[in-house]
Amino acid sequence: MKAKLLGLLAVVLAVSMIVVGCAPAPTPQVVEKVVKETVVVEKPVEKTVVVEKQVVVTPTPGKPQPKGTLRFALSGEPNSLYIPATADKNADIAASQLYDPLVFQDDDGTIVPALAESWEVSKDGTEYIFHLRKGVTFHNGEPFTADDVIATWKYGMGEGSAWPDRYSIAKSVEKIDDYTVRVTTDGPKPLLLVTMHDFWSIIPNEYMEEVGLDGFQKHPIGTGPFMFVEWVKGDHITYQANPNYWREGQPRVEKVIFRFITESSTRVAALTADEIDLTKRLTAEEADQLLSVPGVKVIQYPVARIFYIAFNNLTTGKGLPTEDAKVRQAMNYAVDVDAILKSLFGGAGKRAAGFVASSELGYGVVKPFPYDPEKAKQLLAEAGYPNGFEIDMACPTGAYSHFEEVCQAVAGYLGKVGIKVNLEFMESAHYWDLEAKKELPPLFGDSWADESGEAYNRLKGALGGWDAPYSSWSDPKIDELLDAISKEVDQAKRKALYEELQVYMQENPPFIYLYEPYTFEAMRDRVMDYHPRASEMCYLNKVWLAMPE
Amino acid sequence: MLRYFFIRLGQSLALMFGVLLLVFMMLRVTGDPAALMLPREASAAEIEAFRERMGFNRPIIVQFVDFLSKAVVGDFGESLHFRTPAMTLVTQRLPATVELAATGLLFAVLIGVPIGMIGGLKPGSAVDSLARLLALLGQSIPNFWLAMLMILFFGVRLRWFPTFGRGAWNSVIMPAFVLGLPVMGQIVRLTRSTVLEIRSEDFVRTAYSKGLEPPVIYLKHILRNASIPIISVIGVQFGYMLGGSIYIETIFAWPGMGQLLQLAIGWRDFPLVQAIAIFTSTVVIALNLLTDLVYAIIDPRIRYGL
Repeated sequence: MKAKLLGLLAVVLAVSMIVVGCAPAPTPQVVEKVVKETVVVEKPVEKTVVVEKQVVVTPTPGKPQPKGTLRFALSGEPNSLYIPATADKNADIAASQLYDPLVFQDDDGTIVPALAESWEVSKDGTEYIFHLRKGVTFHNGEPFTADDVIATWKYGMGEGSAWPDRYSIAKSVEKIDDYTVRVTTDGPKPLLLVTMHDFWSIIPNEYMEEVGLDGFQKHPIGTGPFMFVEWVKGDHITYQANPNYWREGQPRVEKVIFRFITESSTRVAALTADEIDLTKRLTAEEADQLLSVPGVKVIQYPVARIFYIAFNNLTTGKGLPTEDAKVRQAMNYAVDVDAILKSLFGGAGKRAAGFVASSELGYGVVKPFPYDPEKAKQLLAEAGYPNGFEIDMACPTGAYSHFEEVCQAVAGYLGKVGIKVNLEFMESAHYWDLEAKKELPPLFGDSWADESGEAYNRLKGALGGWDAPYSSWSDPKIDELLDAISKEVDQAKRKALYEELQVYMQENPPFIYLYEPYTFEAMRDRVMDYHPRASEMCYLNKVWLAMPE
Repeated sequence: MLRYFFIRLGQSLALMFGVLLLVFMMLRVTGDPAALMLPREASAAEIEAFRERMGFNRPIIVQFVDFLSKAVVGDFGESLHFRTPAMTLVTQRLPATVELAATGLLFAVLIGVPIGMIGGLKPGSAVDSLARLLALLGQSIPNFWLAMLMILFFGVRLRWFPTFGRGAWNSVIMPAFVLGLPVMGQIVRLTRSTVLEIRSEDFVRTAYSKGLEPPVIYLKHILRNASIPIISVIGVQFGYMLGGSIYIETIFAWPGMGQLLQLAIGWRDFPLVQAIAIFTSTVVIALNLLTDLVYAIIDPRIRYGL
């Protein structure tokens, strides 16, 4: 009986091996290339064909026709394509391609004209006059005017909006004439233009009145480079190029299809099998694996997110050694973040120099704390704790990649300088509930992202004392500087304030600063001019395909 | 029969009540739902307003009665992520899940029954070894692992099937096979053992002695009798396949309820999680009830044994 079973297994194995052996080897592409080259060399007459091909590969100057279909895999399904209701990055990416804001934030963070050709700001920074671009039409042919700006602002604060604060940042929006709009705020709002870029995607007033919010959600319309075609729930969204787009020569692909693939290893497989062109949010291991796949490019960049271990001085940390700035400095010197990055992330991360990310305004004034356990011990002794002390720390599980191990490593490093850490892991939903109630232990790990190109929201959110739900820290000097930043409209002056704050936060660290993570994306090598941002956002108006079908 | 029907119905309703209670409590024990559902940047005032709007500030008993009275009419509130009625989202995804489960079941039956039958008729043969191997593998291979392996081999290497999604005619084959494999294993084992048992029964021997052709005996006498337990397994398994395809749908990006549940958990979209959990539990309980009733009609010993 056993022999029979073994025999059968052997047959199954042999058949599988034959099947595997029959599978195409991953080399024919090389052979194809050789053949093409041979044709050119043997028949110089056919050189014209090659030239034609080169024309396709190189973007033609002037007015290129949009060509090809870009298949973009998102890590989840957008909740909505109506910008005031978008809940996450997937929704932001998909939705933003349909609209234009009044002002646009360039890849380098500069605010440039979009649907507003120019604008003036009053001296006190509370009044903005926008001069609108003429001759722009929405996808349904409706012309873009000042009424649409007012409608966008009103709808953004109304029913169905998840982010009313992003619109109520303006006290009023008034029409001066069809192509001039006055936006007033009740005090200087330095982040107004950035907020407008992120959220004020202009929607057509008349169409919205005609179909209502539900109708708009089913068939969204903007002035953007792409027009909505269909949304098959759970599966994909299709757009097609807007032939009347106001930016000359854009968009450059004819069709965009967003596919929703939650599982990152499936996205890797789909990219390898050439079923998608572009995907985001891969792990370092997956990116590494894709490096050897022919026809695939991998990119990595730091995300505007900072990981940290927070100190609490509002509730559970009261009266503890961590109230002494020297102790907090010592704890920063005690942790070898580079070693953590190297061992857990294969070096795919950047050591945080403070609470301002490397892509944000005012970065670069302070250097990260070097790993110096001797200095840490010396500072602890100076603070009166030569033998260290014992402290509780918490860490969320399942929230961030490898973060449990990061917390363990931090606890281990602190132990080496005499600080005994009692580490507790908690389920992330429960963790954030306790964090909001300020009931976590005196030390706890977390991270905070920001997309505005400035660290203000992150700083305010984590250091805003009792006013901010997820904050655990209060420092009058920090409050004062944050208040100044929130009122300063001049970008250079705001930069100086960020720098002053960072220097202060180096001397009086409210966190053990850990790292900015890298994110990995991969694409077929025919995808050109694709530029993602530190916020993980991307705009597809300039993207083109080197080999359209 | 009527007594049996009412007892089973009562049990099912009690079980349904238990499911509703459990699902309701799950949300409350993980922390303050308002703080969990809102984005991190939400201010304390926004959290309070949300709590008021959703009714989380009322006594828990009042909340439960309200939840129950709405659940009875299929109202599970609005999905926080999509801002659409949760039940509408579930019914939108239902066809994809039913397609996947039905195809998976079809594979399980079409492959499982013949192999199990031959294995039972010819114990010790090569097909019997295959039957036992299939039963073992089907019930022991982790399906997410098999799914990845199939994607890499049949999707990426051979390019026979799309690696993800629903739409092309062949897109259902890989996910349905992976989903159906454990059921296939179970059907093979059950068919084999039932056929083994039946083939030595008196009526089969009589059939042989009457000079009937073996294929007639196999189909008319053996398979017909063996089909009763197989059908009951199919009924129960179909319910589990509808609810239990969460990994498969996620890996293959199949736009069904399982994938939606996985996403809803990630978004902390509790109304949606509740709607899916209750919907699938109801289907499983209903199919179990139905199977039991059909079984009781076919085999009177069951209802009298109660």
